Amino acid sequence: MNTHITSDFTPDALIIGGGIAGLQSALDLADQDLQVLLVERQASIGGHMIALSKVYPTLDCASCITTPKMSAAAHHPNITILTNTEVEGIDTRDGVHRVRLLQKPTYVNFDKCIGCRLCEYACDTEYPDPFEEGLGAVRAIAVPFTNAIPQKAVLNAEVCGTCGACARVCPTGAIEYDQQPRHLTIHTDAVIVASGFNLNAITVKPQYNAQHSQNIISPLTLERLLAPHGPYGRVLRPSDGKMPGSIAFVQCAGSRDESIGVSYCSRVCCMYAIKQAMLLSGALPLADITIYYMDIRAFGKGYEQFFQNAKAMGINFVRGKVARIHPVEDGDLSLHVETTEDAGNPMQERRHDLVVLAQGMIPGWQPSDVTPVACASDGFVATPALTAPAATTVPGIFVAGTAAGPKDIVDTIAEAGAAAMQASQYLYQKRSAVLVG
Amino acid sequence: MAMKTLAPEQKQALAKLRASLGGISEQKRQAQKHLVAARKAILKFLEAKPATVPQIAEALQLPSSEALWHVTGMRKYGKVAEAGEEGDYPLYALVVQQEAAEASH
Repeated sequence: MNTHITSDFTPDALIIGGGIAGLQSALDLADQDLQVLLVERQASIGGHMIALSKVYPTLDCASCITTPKMSAAAHHPNITILTNTEVEGIDTRDGVHRVRLLQKPTYVNFDKCIGCRLCEYACDTEYPDPFEEGLGAVRAIAVPFTNAIPQKAVLNAEVCGTCGACARVCPTGAIEYDQQPRHLTIHTDAVIVASGFNLNAITVKPQYNAQHSQNIISPLTLERLLAPHGPYGRVLRPSDGKMPGSIAFVQCAGSRDESIGVSYCSRVCCMYAIKQAMLLSGALPLADITIYYMDIRAFGKGYEQFFQNAKAMGINFVRGKVARIHPVEDGDLSLHVETTEDAGNPMQERRHDLVVLAQGMIPGWQPSDVTPVACASDGFVATPALTAPAATTVPGIFVAGTAAGPKDIVDTIAEAGAAAMQASQYLYQKRSAVLVG
Repeated sequence: MAMKTLAPEQKQALAKLRASLGGISEQKRQAQKHLVAARKAILKFLEAKPATVPQIAEALQLPSSEALWHVTGMRKYGKVAEAGEEGDYPLYALVVQQEAAEASH
C-alpha cells in the first residue's frame, strides 16, 4: 500500500473519505490511469459499511463486499491512501485546489509494523472499542479491527499509560513515541467529497429516555451485535448480557421532525430496520420483534418484496407513533404507542427488552466550514445541477454518497461511479483546453 | 514473548510523550487500577464455576453492564469463553476450564 507522499505529490484527484463511496470513486478513477490520493480520518478505510452485518435486500455479507474494494484500493498502483488524516481546508485558485491536510501521529512506523499484534497483546490498558460502538473493549495500542486496512497497529495516546510495554515486545522496532503531526499541502485539479454521514444523537428526543437506559440502542450498535465477529459473538442486551426476548424498532426517531432540526426523511431506516428484524429472527428464533412505523418507504428494486417477506416471517408491523419510552424494572422498557390499527384502543403501553431507535442521518463533515463548497439547507453538500448530480457549486469539486444526502449503499455506489466519471471528464476537458490553448 | 529493554532514545521519547499528555492523571491511574482489580476478581470468581453476567455482577458488586464489558474484553483477548447458557443468559468460563471440558467430551 502506497502511503508515502510529500507536498510535491500532485495527484490528478483527491478523494475525501475512504468509505464505500470514496473507495468506488477512487477505483473508477484509478482504473482510467489517473493518480488518486484517498484521505481518510479514521485509522482504517472502509467507513460505516465495513462495520455492517449484512446488506438489504440480498442479505449479502457487508464485509464480503467492502473488504475486496478496500483491498483493491490499497493494492492499486494509482491510489495512494493516507489514513488518520483530516482535511483542514481547500483553497481554489485558477482551477487548482490547494488541499491542506493534517496527518495525525499513530506512534507506529507503518513501514516497520508487520501487523503481528504483539504490542496489542502486551498492552494492559483497555477502553470501550469505538468500532464496536463502545460495547467491546480494545487496547490502547491495537490494529483497529480484524479486517482493517492498513493492518497496522495504532496507539491511542489519550488512553495510553505510557508504560513502554509495546516498544519492548515489538520485533521490528516500529513503535515511535516521538511521532509528530504532519502538515501537507496537496495541489490537485479535482476533488471528490465522500465524507459520508453521522447519526444524530440517540438522546435527541428526551421523551425516549435513551440517556437513562443502555437497552435503548442505535441501529449501528445493533449492526455490531448482529455481525458474526461482533463484541459479544451473539445478540445480547448491553445492560446485563441477557438474550432479548422482545425487541422493538422505533422508526422516525431522529428524522422527519422539524422540532429537532431534521425535517427530511433519512430514506434508509425502513429498509435497514426490516433487514435487522429478519436477521434478529434468525439469531433469536423465539424473540418477538415489532416495528413501530408511520409509513414504510420501500422504494428500491426488490425492496417491496423484502418488506412482504418480513411480514410473512412473522415480524410485527404496528402503524403508529411511539410517544414516550420509560425504563422499568429489570432493564425492560415501557413504550407508550399511539396506533392507528386499533380504533377502540389507540393509546397502548407495550413492554420490550431492547429498543432500537431509528436515528436521523446527518452530514459526516461540514465542507462549507473550510472550503468554498456550499451546503444545502439540510446541511448536506448542495448539488445544484440536475443534469450533473455529482457537481457541487465549485468547478472541479464533486460529491459522492451520503455527503450529498441520505441514501442507501446501492445508490451510494452508483453515485460514486457518476462522481468519478464527471471528475475524469472535467480533467480531460481541462487538460485538452490547456493543450489547445 | 521476551520483553526487551527500551533503548535510551526510546525512554526519552516515551518521557516526552508522557509530558505532552500532561503526565498520567490521577483519574487515569485510578481507572487502570480498577480495570486490573475487576479483571482479576472476575477471573478468580470464574475459577470456581462458569457464571452468567448477573451472577458475576452480584458477586463482585459491579454494575451488570460493567461486568459484561469486562467479560467481553476478556473473551476477545482469550481469557474467558462461552460455556453454555443458564436461562436467558450465556455462561462464561475460564478458557483453560473450557478447553479441559471440551477435551473430556
